[in-house]
Amino acid sequence: MSGMHKCAPAKSESPKKPSTKKWGSSLLLTPKSSSLSPRSWLCNITLGASRFIPSISISQSLDISINAPHPPLTRQSCPLHSSLRPLRHSSRSLARLPPRLRNPPRPLKIAAGDLPPLGFRKGYLLMSTLGNSTNIFWHECPVGKHERQRLLDQKGCVVWITGLSGSGKSTLACSISRELHTRGKLSYVLDGDNLRHGLNKNLGFKAEDRAENIRRVGEVAKLFADAGLVCIASLISPYRKDRDACRAMLPESFIEVFMNMPLELCEARDAKGLYKLARAGKIKGFTGIDDPYEPPLKCEIELSQKDGICPAPGAMAGKVVSYLEEKGFLES
Amino acid sequence: MPAIRGPGACVYGTSGALRSRRAKDGELGFVGCCSGLGAARGPQLRSRVLRLGGRSARLAPVGAMEQGRTAYVNSKADGSEGENLHQISTVGNSTNIKWHGCSVDKLERQELLQQKGCVIWITGLSGSGKSTLACALSRGLHSRGKLTYILDGDNVRHGLNSDLSFRAEDRAENIRRIGEVAKLFADSGLICIASLISPYRKDRSACRAMLPGGDFIEVFMDVPLQVCEARDPKGLYKLARAGKIKGFTGIDDPYEPPLDCEIVLQQEGSKCASPCEMAEEVICFLEEKGYLRA
Repeated sequence: MSGMHKCAPAKSESPKKPSTKKWGSSLLLTPKSSSLSPRSWLCNITLGASRFIPSISISQSLDISINAPHPPLTRQSCPLHSSLRPLRHSSRSLARLPPRLRNPPRPLKIAAGDLPPLGFRKGYLLMSTLGNSTNIFWHECPVGKHERQRLLDQKGCVVWITGLSGSGKSTLACSISRELHTRGKLSYVLDGDNLRHGLNKNLGFKAEDRAENIRRVGEVAKLFADAGLVCIASLISPYRKDRDACRAMLPESFIEVFMNMPLELCEARDAKGLYKLARAGKIKGFTGIDDPYEPPLKCEIELSQKDGICPAPGAMAGKVVSYLEEKGFLES
Repeated sequence: MPAIRGPGACVYGTSGALRSRRAKDGELGFVGCCSGLGAARGPQLRSRVLRLGGRSARLAPVGAMEQGRTAYVNSKADGSEGENLHQISTVGNSTNIKWHGCSVDKLERQELLQQKGCVIWITGLSGSGKSTLACALSRGLHSRGKLTYILDGDNVRHGLNSDLSFRAEDRAENIRRIGEVAKLFADSGLICIASLISPYRKDRSACRAMLPGGDFIEVFMDVPLQVCEARDPKGLYKLARAGKIKGFTGIDDPYEPPLDCEIVLQQEGSKCASPCEMAEEVICFLEEKGYLRA
């Protein structure tokens, strides 16, 4: 384990606080007193100690306080609590584990990339007000994205499938999920319609509700990607601006897949009977009929007909999975 | 309508009545509305999946459509079987939607991960140690090779719930959305640790109802207000006492403790268990109930 940061004694520790001898002693740093930038400072901290549970408290006075034990930073000098030692598997139970879970996790290290960009954009951490949420703090945790990715042997990302209703998004999503599963990779499908049964059931199909629908799906997809899964979002998402906003949430792990199927084909399929209802005027604002679809200008993958024939879902899924493999998402 | 039934049963709502059907071995177990296939493509996909899997592919149960109206729309006249009826629903404000099943279900993901997905819902006053416990729990489970994810109330308010305030109705919506997301995580096979004040009993019960029986594990951080206030890790109690924050739980907004939670972590007098010990208690519970194996 690398690095050792000298902790300054806490200035603000109250004698009335309940006993925190097992895990708490405060470190107070101000931007003035620290000669290190927060980014390099935090890179020096290695979480080998069992009871290091960083709780980054942030305050408007621009102080950075971290609860940390006086750091014994090697496993040998600070024996792990039994609950936190890697289990010693018997050879039989070990053999039953999938390959990537057989090796115990390596010691934790907070890399700067694990920390929320919000806190470090300005070089210090602040109590935040975001939107309507006031007085909120970002809570960091020792098990971060990199640890989860190592456990799963894959990199979390979002595959965003967009296209007209009936273009085959959900079908493709399922095929991709199946293909990844056969390779031992964990994925999860966020289907627009399915989410409208639960998380987004209070949203309609007006433009602002569509935007909110896409925003929420984007945020949830981001959480899944952070958890290390390949998250496959399949929804019409007709407006470019909303898709771009989701892309901005995930700068390096957003893969846009455009199901470029002509309207005539989608309408001929009419998988859910909705085009018929829309043409009869029973559904208003239906994408492709009386609401626009804005195709992507620069998506990662475009799937379209070849000589008037639509490729099979398996073939299209193969193309997407190959792309993921090429870009290194299917390894940690 | 009841929530999702146990594995293997496919439940989908009709107008008012329930039908359930167990997938037979070797059959794909299509729920009538599932997978959004063009009807012509249905048989091809069926045979393809059977070749790949060779096992009885039991689809995950279709989520029952709470407070939803459903209507059957006949499939196109191209030879689709009767069971391929398209079930278009209205749920809340979302009209004309259809549930899509998927070929990879929860059981398969659990098999891959060697664990069962569930939600650990940690509730308690601000400063009672919820986030700390969540981190300790995550660390403890990670060291056992289990995949977890923390949904911290504050963190989620940085993203998904950034449009919500702390008024009662927004708190309810905050909890509802986190409950829904936690449900998705549990469905994906992860052990989802939700740590948020969630002060109202009604909202926590609503989240419990979203998950199949036993998959919602409520952990109550039973720490007295005085102790939380003495800790005041974020300086919020001070601001609340000074009147700079209104509607702060414990000061001028109520906290309704759970009546029937699975785990209570209590502080006795001035003695407070360490986060590791508390995490160990929760992990033992999970082990007992079989969540740490497929």
